[in-house]
Parts: sequence; structure tokens; C-alpha cells
Amino acid sequence: MELEVDENDLKAAGAELFAEGGRRGIRINGWLIETRRHSILNSSTFQEWEQKLDTSHLPEMVFGENTLILKHLSSGTNIHFNAFDALRGWKQEALPPVEVPAAAKWKFRSKPSQQVILDYDYTFTTPYCGSGTIEIDKDLNEGETSKETSDIHWEDCKDQIDVVALASKEPILFYDEVVLYEDELADNGVSLLTIKVRVMPSSWFLLLRFWLRVDGVLIRLRETRMHCVFGGSTNPIILRESCWRESTFQALSAKGHPFDSGAYGDPSFISQKLPIIMHKTQKLVISS
Amino acid sequence: MSSSSDLDRQIEQLKRCEPLKESEVKVLCLKAMEILVEESNVQRVDAPVTICGDIHGQFYDMKELFKVGGDCPKTNYLFLGDFVDRGFYSVETFLLLLALKVRYPDRITLIRGNHESRQITQVYGFYDECLRKYGSVNVWRYCTDIFDYLSLSALIENKIFSVHGGLSPAISTLDQIRTIDRKQEVPHDGAMCDLLWSDPEDIVDSWGLSPRGAGYLFGGSVVTSFNHSNNIDYICRAHQLVMEGYKWMFNNQIVTVWSAPNYCYRCGNVAAILELDGNLTKQFRVFEAAPQESRGTPAKKPAPDYFL
Repeated sequence: MELEVDENDLKAAGAELFAEGGRRGIRINGWLIETRRHSILNSSTFQEWEQKLDTSHLPEMVFGENTLILKHLSSGTNIHFNAFDALRGWKQEALPPVEVPAAAKWKFRSKPSQQVILDYDYTFTTPYCGSGTIEIDKDLNEGETSKETSDIHWEDCKDQIDVVALASKEPILFYDEVVLYEDELADNGVSLLTIKVRVMPSSWFLLLRFWLRVDGVLIRLRETRMHCVFGGSTNPIILRESCWRESTFQALSAKGHPFDSGAYGDPSFISQKLPIIMHKTQKLVISS
Repeated sequence: MSSSSDLDRQIEQLKRCEPLKESEVKVLCLKAMEILVEESNVQRVDAPVTICGDIHGQFYDMKELFKVGGDCPKTNYLFLGDFVDRGFYSVETFLLLLALKVRYPDRITLIRGNHESRQITQVYGFYDECLRKYGSVNVWRYCTDIFDYLSLSALIENKIFSVHGGLSPAISTLDQIRTIDRKQEVPHDGAMCDLLWSDPEDIVDSWGLSPRGAGYLFGGSVVTSFNHSNNIDYICRAHQLVMEGYKWMFNNQIVTVWSAPNYCYRCGNVAAILELDGNLTKQFRVFEAAPQESRGTPAKKPAPDYFL
């Protein structure tokens, strides 16, 4: 996904692009922002993850090495996104499974003897909003250096992401979209976790989106947006907005939207039609 | 103009990933119907034969498959369904396979997958692709009519049973499959549904119900019982993405073969086909996605996405 970037825009912003193997990214205003894209997990690693996560099922397509990393170099702040942590969130939340339309009919089928009913959340819905650490270099007595990691702290706030600024067509110096996991729900819909990032001369912005469609039943969106305006001298502040939207097909149909699953292929198109279940904003103040 | 000559030209055209005219599709489908109507729900296939799993409209990757396995009719093929949806070229993929079926009816066998369905293709891509490439839904209608005539399974030398999805609690013998009236849209439940939709499941020994509330899962003892009752060596099925192209389960009583490499153009997986020689000796041929330069259109540079 090679975006054509104007060299002059990069120079004007004091930014530098790099690409190497599956890694690509940008250095700008004290940030190192990088994506990695690879294949889905092979069978042996897949089984390893099932054991680590204590589950008998994972999404069919787990992009275990895919990641987005945003490093603030002077403070050691590291915000990153990966499939393993997202699936850990799925496992912990453990929502009840959603029935497909045919389930109503299946209740009346004669049951084979010894039938067992599986009951994990096959939609792979996750509350994951990203992972974060701070790495601090500590000088030890003999001049050795060790890295100490601590968690970053998000605090609730009433600020909002500046959508107007983001809507202006500032040049995009770096853009990528990375899939973390996907499942086709055995051809009953789609469950997809992706992260998109764009870097402009004045700021970076990302969208982590979990998109679920159970055909004929339910549409669910969980989105996390982060925005960081590059400050010349002040400490950077990152805003994080998390939003959960959801609606049944029946409710959408009652409002005059199509009932047909084929109409809901693109989450961006239907996002605003879904009622908000939960919304919150938090901020992270980075200290140098 | 002889019929064979027309077909040969159409096959060459389709191999270049150029769709046929709508009127040609209609004629091709009528000819295919005449052939398929004579096939059994458990279609007999002779060895040597090469078995292929899901293709999902990945036309150039199917061409790669033919490079690895050899061209039809020199190689005898069995395709286990899911020719369409998800990939960019379901039209060219299905029509090429159908044209080969009409041209060499004894050298290629096509059985039905769960995507060979009116309801499924309206959601997962084939319908939209037909509309985009032909400007009307007629070709989609011709093709979905043909879907109803595809066999439900295949039996190779009476020893290897092939099906798209898997087994059904309503079926313990091959004769029970033979009695199904298959010329219909894939139903939402029942034996025909199960053959196209069910999955093997490691943590189940007998039968399981999917957490979706519909869809059977079957375990090792079910496969053992079915294979024993029908004097079958093993089952070869498709339907599920396998990273390494094929996967054995239940002490080699059932194998999944997956034939769409770099699935959805991003998974990076390899794919496989299963070659059986005249003695039913097995060889899996693993292959990768077609390189970018053989895909016709160059990779597009994405426009900047001002997502919000």
C-alpha cells in the first residue's frame, strides 16, 4: 500500500519515511510511527495462541504479526495495537453468542444423541482500545542501562477530537491500514478488527475499528479514535474517543433502512445509522 | 461453426479472463444443464484424479492451480465447490470451469459448495459482480439455475468420499444422499444443508451444535462410523481456510483441502490440491498466489483516505 507522498511535503514537515521488509513508517516531530504486515498465523502458532488464551476457537484469520506502533521517542511512551491483546480482551469480556436466523428452525430438528452445544462468543467482539507502555532508561551504578516498563495512564475528560481540523485536506505524509483479525462467521457475516493511521504535518490520527455483521440479525461497531496534535514545545496530549454502536436488522428495517445483508458491506456507510450504546473520551498527557 | 470450436474459442477467451457475452452464457448454461442433470448426487469419479478445494473467484490463482496440476483434459479434476464470491473474478472463474465441464464432461467434476446459492451470492459478491460486468442480473440467474444441478458429492473408485462441507446426522449411508432431491436452492436445514455447511470439530466426539444456534459440527467417532459403514478410506472436503493448504483430522479419516492462496488477497496462506494416481496414492501439491505481474491489471496506488 505505497501512498504517493510529495517529497516537498516531507521536507517541509521535517519528516522521514522508511520501509524495510514488512515494516514501514515515518519519523516526525519526535514520533516514530510504524506498521508491520504479514501473513495469518500458521497452524502451530495458532495452536500456541489457543493455549495461551485458553480457548478452543480463534478467528479463522489471525494476523498475529500485524501491528501499529507509535513511539514518542523522548518520553519512551509506546502505544501499540496487536491481535493477541485484542483477543485477550475478547476472552475476558465473553459476551453471550448471537443466534443466526436459521437457529429458530434448528430448534425443531430432531437432535442427534450426545449432541453438545458450543457456547463461546463466535463474534469475537472485543473491548480492546490499544496497548500502551512507557520505557524509561535507568542508569545503573556501573554505567549500565536497564529498561523499565510501566503502564500509561488515561484519564477521563470532556474534550473532543477536533473533527473539523481532521476534515481539512492537509497532505497525508503516511497512511496505512492493518488487519488484526477476521472471521467469516462460517459464512453468516463478518467480524473484522482493523486499524488505520494517517500522519499529517500537524498531527497523527488513528481509528481502531471492530466491525460485526451477523447476517439478518445484528450490526455492531466498536471504534477507538486517537488524535495527537504535534506541539512545538509543550508536552503532547493524546485524545482517545471510544464508541460502541449497535443495532438489530429489525430495528434498522423499522427505521426504513434495508433489511438485506448485501446493503451492509461497508461499515463507514452505515456507522451513523447505528445508535450509540457507549461513548467516552480520555486523554493521555505525555511527560518528558 | 461446430459446437466444439465455439467452446474452444470461449475457453481461450475465458482463460484470458475475458467474460463471455450474455447470450453465450445462456447457451453454455443450457448445455451444462443437460450434462449435470444426468449426474448422481454421489457422482462416480475414476482415478487418477486431482481434487481441488475452494477457489472463491480468485481467477489468476486458479490459473496458477492449473499450472501446478496440469491443464484439463490431460489432468482429470474434481472441484469441491465455492467457485464464486469474495474474490474479484467469480464470473470468469465459474464460466471457465463450466465451459471445461461442457467441453470435457468426463474429465472435470464440479460439486456444489454452500456459496453456490442465490441467497449467499447476493451478500458475498457474485451478484454484484454479475451486475457490474453485464449490467443486468440475467447472467447471475443463469448461473444460479445451474448451481441447483451441481452434484452434492463425489465417490472416487468407491473408496474416497468427497463433499464440500461434511456429514449430517440425517445421513449414515451413501444411498441416503442419492435419494435427496438436489434441484433446489440450498435449504437452511436438513441433510442437503449439512453436506454443504457442516464442519469437523476437534473438541466434539459425536455431534455438536455451533454457537450460532445453527450448523452441525461433527467429531471423530461420527467420521469413523460413516467411513466404516460405507467402506470408505477417508473423506476429502473443503469449506474451511487452512493455512498450509491441507489438514488431516481424526487419525487421517478426513482431510480438508483449501485451494485459494493468499485468501482475500491478504492472508498470505499457501493453497493445495490433492493428486491421486491410478492406485489412489496421494500427493498434495502446494502452491502460492499468482505473482502480481500475471494478474492483468497493475496494483493500484491507493488514494489517500481522509478517514474520520
